[in-house]
Amino acid sequence: MGAFLSFFTWNLLSSSIRLTTPILLAALAAALCNKAGVLNLAIEGEMLLGAFVAIVVSYLVRKYTGMGRAHAVFATSVGVAASLGFGMLLGWFMASIHSRYHSDLVIFSIAFNMLSSEITVYIMRSVFHQNGTWTDPSLVQLPAIGEYNIIVYLSWILTVVLIIVFHKTVFGRHLKAVGEAPEAAASVGISVKRVHYVALIAGGMLACLGGAFLSVGHLILFTRDMSSGRGWLGNAAALFGFNNPGGTFLASLFFGFADAVALRLQNVTKIPPYIIQLMPYVLTLVILSVVSFRAKKKRSKNALY
Amino acid sequence: MNKQQNRLMNVLVPVTALVLGVFVASLLIAMTEVSPFKAFGVLVSGAFGCSGKVWPLCITLGQSTPLIMTGLAAMFAFRAGIFCIAQESQYVFGAIVAAWLGVTLHWPSFLLVPFIMLCSMVVGALAAEIPAVLKVKLGVNEIISSIMINNIATLVLEYLVAFPLRADSGQKAQSAVLPQSLWLPQFIKGSRWGVSFVIALICVVVAYIVLWKTSYGYELRMAGQAPLFARYGGIDADQVVLNAMAVSGALAGLAGCMEVLGNYHRIMTGFSSGLGFDGLSVAMLGLSSPIGVFIVAILLAGIRQGAQLGLQINLKIPRELGGVLIALIILFISLQNIYTPLLKKFVSTSSLKE
Repeated sequence: MGAFLSFFTWNLLSSSIRLTTPILLAALAAALCNKAGVLNLAIEGEMLLGAFVAIVVSYLVRKYTGMGRAHAVFATSVGVAASLGFGMLLGWFMASIHSRYHSDLVIFSIAFNMLSSEITVYIMRSVFHQNGTWTDPSLVQLPAIGEYNIIVYLSWILTVVLIIVFHKTVFGRHLKAVGEAPEAAASVGISVKRVHYVALIAGGMLACLGGAFLSVGHLILFTRDMSSGRGWLGNAAALFGFNNPGGTFLASLFFGFADAVALRLQNVTKIPPYIIQLMPYVLTLVILSVVSFRAKKKRSKNALY
Repeated sequence: MNKQQNRLMNVLVPVTALVLGVFVASLLIAMTEVSPFKAFGVLVSGAFGCSGKVWPLCITLGQSTPLIMTGLAAMFAFRAGIFCIAQESQYVFGAIVAAWLGVTLHWPSFLLVPFIMLCSMVVGALAAEIPAVLKVKLGVNEIISSIMINNIATLVLEYLVAFPLRADSGQKAQSAVLPQSLWLPQFIKGSRWGVSFVIALICVVVAYIVLWKTSYGYELRMAGQAPLFARYGGIDADQVVLNAMAVSGALAGLAGCMEVLGNYHRIMTGFSSGLGFDGLSVAMLGLSSPIGVFIVAILLAGIRQGAQLGLQINLKIPRELGGVLIALIILFISLQNIYTPLLKKFVSTSSLKE
């Protein structure tokens, strides 16, 4: 019992909150897009590019502008802002190829994820001449309040904001309507296109913020494939939380906790951490099966009338 | 648009995507202050050249073997109308089975090699049935379930090579080397080009015959392209999907098995390194036809190989450019709706002139 208690320290809790943050931001992006009825599988790539843009812009501002040279935190903030802007651009691009040209977003996302993982390494190697990891000693991370970084608190605020938007605003109603029956929504005058644009753009920004947290939030560095599946985990967490911000928050917290436990197991004991790392994926499969089965049964029941 | 023009469009779209991809990649090469023309020359000679001790062409053919197999696997799934992207997991499971049986069983090799291949195929097929059953019986989105299964497979592989299958207590987590009697022979030493390529070629031919010359293939194409029509014609679409996914999984499993027996002779962490996704790209670019898969697999293997052997070693351009180029090509395929109106105009005006 004593050993058990000493395993669950305060440290474990704070590390799980840190590990939750990027997953949560990705999951909120996924939940928003799923709710609007667009399957956004590009979150993983958006996150990776967001991380890259954040640290590169921070570096450039720090090195080449007067303001940046004087204030390191200013440079990092500009980097995060640039990352957000970049996410907006990506989201807008995805929305326009989806709404205007009816391109297949799934194929696009697969290519996009592959491109982002290769091109970041390509640029890192050809411009910064670094092989696996790149960092610059002059950069600093975003300031922390108490124990956690600003982005951690921001992710919590965003969760609350999204809960309010989903359940208390007209846009939330529109979002739900478009996601469940786009034709019906269009027939009562809701702009399906606008909802898709908003969801994908906000999703891109959330994903890039998650990426920025990885590269200039907790640490200051970029490594190849830095997002390492957190975007996918976010997709899973959104489905696990039934695409509601509240449920998504709890699911992300659970996934982050599983990550922290796995890390700690690796450090303190000889128990293989893999079982715990497997849990999020297996659980998501189970939940998905149950949800889909119930939806299918409901459909066939309705079909009788 | 007549039939001939449609067929022309089918070929024109991938070619346009290739040209656009090469153009963007040239800009990226220009960033490193190397002439793009020179770079692409080096890329091609590094991929398909016929000089040196081991010809680059032979290495490319060797590298293309698993791509042909996973490409065929993805093709069968697409043909059945399932966008399954779990080839990676089937490949990994097939490889795990091969590495495990090869070390534990001590049968004569003429018996053991076919047995291992069979087991890998069965395990691959079973792995493919998970997303298939979930899709057909419960209606779970196959893309999401595939991603979960891919992640599970990677973690299972990491666990197995770190603990039960681990060969030594050295730094690297890897399984023991298989006995030499099980190795599939290679035509030229160090080229990876060997018997597995021949098996892949046979699979291409068989897949072509099955798809276009048998009633099973007809049912498969029908169920994938027009499920309602297939049902009306008395085809049990669910059963067709399950069968096709089993074939798909068996092919991907065999790919993993042949990589273990013919190439690495063991498994380690990072064994797959995105081969499943490359198989997917091959099937998409190859227009879901066996011949197309064969050609595109060699082309993509050539791009990766040329980027590694030619660009990185000779010109100091990072080899990731190969991956960037492949990704760009698929990206432009997915954006085809933007430029097809232009192409269509071009095709119809040029045929008017004749």
